Amino acid sequence: MIQNSWKIGGLALLAYVISMCFLVPLGPGLLEFQDAQSAGVVAELERKVSVYRLVGLNTHWDEQPESLHVYLKHKSSLVELPVIEVNDATHANVGLVLPDTIPSKSWDVFTSHPSDGTLLLENGLFTEGFVIDKEATWPSPEVTEFTSNLALHFPFQPRIFETIRNLMLHVPMWFTMFLLMGIGFVASIRQLSASQSELHDLRAEASVQVGMAFGILGLITGSLWARFTWGAWWVDDPQLNGAMVTVLVYAGYLILRATVDNKRLKARLSAVYNLFAFVILIILLMVLPRFTESLHPGKGGNPGFNSYDLDSSLRMVFYPAVIGWMLLGIWMYRVRLAAAALNQKLQQL
Amino acid sequence: MSDIGFLIRHALRIEFRNKHGIAGLVVFSLAAVYTCYQATGTRATMESWNALAWVVLLFAAFNAVSKPWADDSENMRSFLLHTVSPQSWILARVIYYGLLLSGLGIVVFLGFALFLGIDQFPGWSAFQFWVGIEATALALASLLALLQALASRAGGGFGLVSVLGLPLMIPVILVSTRYGMDLMKGIVFLDTAHHLLFLASLTGGFVALGYILFPYLWRD
Amino acid sequence: MTLNVLQYLLQISPLEGFFFGSGKAMVVTGVALIILIGMGLWLFAMEKRIARMNEHVDELLNSQTLKKK
Repeated sequence: MIQNSWKIGGLALLAYVISMCFLVPLGPGLLEFQDAQSAGVVAELERKVSVYRLVGLNTHWDEQPESLHVYLKHKSSLVELPVIEVNDATHANVGLVLPDTIPSKSWDVFTSHPSDGTLLLENGLFTEGFVIDKEATWPSPEVTEFTSNLALHFPFQPRIFETIRNLMLHVPMWFTMFLLMGIGFVASIRQLSASQSELHDLRAEASVQVGMAFGILGLITGSLWARFTWGAWWVDDPQLNGAMVTVLVYAGYLILRATVDNKRLKARLSAVYNLFAFVILIILLMVLPRFTESLHPGKGGNPGFNSYDLDSSLRMVFYPAVIGWMLLGIWMYRVRLAAAALNQKLQQL
Repeated sequence: MSDIGFLIRHALRIEFRNKHGIAGLVVFSLAAVYTCYQATGTRATMESWNALAWVVLLFAAFNAVSKPWADDSENMRSFLLHTVSPQSWILARVIYYGLLLSGLGIVVFLGFALFLGIDQFPGWSAFQFWVGIEATALALASLLALLQALASRAGGGFGLVSVLGLPLMIPVILVSTRYGMDLMKGIVFLDTAHHLLFLASLTGGFVALGYILFPYLWRD
Repeated sequence: MTLNVLQYLLQISPLEGFFFGSGKAMVVTGVALIILIGMGLWLFAMEKRIARMNEHVDELLNSQTLKKK
């Protein structure tokens, strides 16, 4: 039972990960700040102003609606906008009250609220019909800041929204695939140096087979994620190219194994190809993405998932996810290896 | 070193004794170029010129290595096993294929220049494109040298070399097509030369790996 | 317990109330957990079966070598 504890541990971790992944709510954020094409009255000014509609996601503006503050920000210029009406938890009407001369055309919108804290919508507003004077300076209004008092939630990231949950599935798949291919790599090296037996050959084959399964799952989860965040099922991106090449190369490995009948020869040739392919893939996947721009998170202008960006709520599900999926992958590899060894034994009968 | 020279000269001698091998490759390349000429409707845009040139080079390379090596019969292999070191053997193959594919690269480039026109290239960039073709040919040669040896030992022939080789070729072609498009768009050579450096380093990597791994392929 | 969790989630936000209240998140989690536990049980069963067959084959191989002697 103690020998099996890691398997149960892996399952338990994954059960925790799956529960958290789907049940933890997403934190609040701002979606858009659109011209409502209507006019509203602001009490203090006693005149009509154009009304803009502020839309949030998972916000709580219906609690203490009078404490919602909306600001426009551009570098160091800050102006507070009057909130005309809070429609419900996620919609509010805001009046656009700006002087005639403003320092810029593009503005960040940010809000402050006791439950939600401070939320930012970058480049939320592009103004029309004002005179732009870059040197204009304004008095800084007092900004009331709140810290949010929400329960555990995943962070809101622009473009990604709810799909951040995929982080617990997609990324660990690739880590597990790399781990398994690494096991296969070591097995191939040992196969070549101990040329008399073929026991390492079985290990290499089993690890590549299970690794391919995880690789294909990684491609599928990645493609679905891309569809919902970037709009396309596939894009021309170095990491995606690398992923496709990896899956094709290991498919070639399995085809090579199927072509050769002689067991000794099969073991040696597939070991050579495995080594060759693994080294080249490491070079391609580690070197190329460093030098090119990419849509992939963490590179270019995308919200990244490196250790500085990873929110603590994400971290507490992500690290167990990596470990859990790796344990499951190794378990699957062990079972496959046992089945292949049994198969080989049966052929001796 | 003399081993390598001997092997290369030997291979070249065999190749030219029976000229239909090389002749077949040249005919294949020219036929492929002419097909591309027709397929583009005799007037190729930048993108199709670039894309087709590299693809034709790629498939000419596969065709070039698909013939079983003249010395791969069992007797010859056992003989050479005792006379030359496997490292010399793989380097000789790489150099031989490098020469062969460079020649094919010239044929393909001239064919494309003749039929699909060379006026898509501003200034000297046509020559720079040809340099890129040669660099790619060397990278392909170094990769295919090892894979051809592997496939011939596995008994798989043309099909197996393609299955094993094409996925690994994809990054090479990716870099080459980017390089080609940059040249056609008129980007200065010094700004795109990093693609050539990458091809050269890939070539070095393939040769190094082949050098280490070939002995395992070759002996019993 | 499920009812309390649902009530709690409904209070957080009407939008989530819709999503969680209609039970979709629960269903997805439930299905995923069922698949996971099912896979675990299947892997355990396979391991047991392979171990059993291994013993059987070892017996057969031993009796074969004994016969040869």
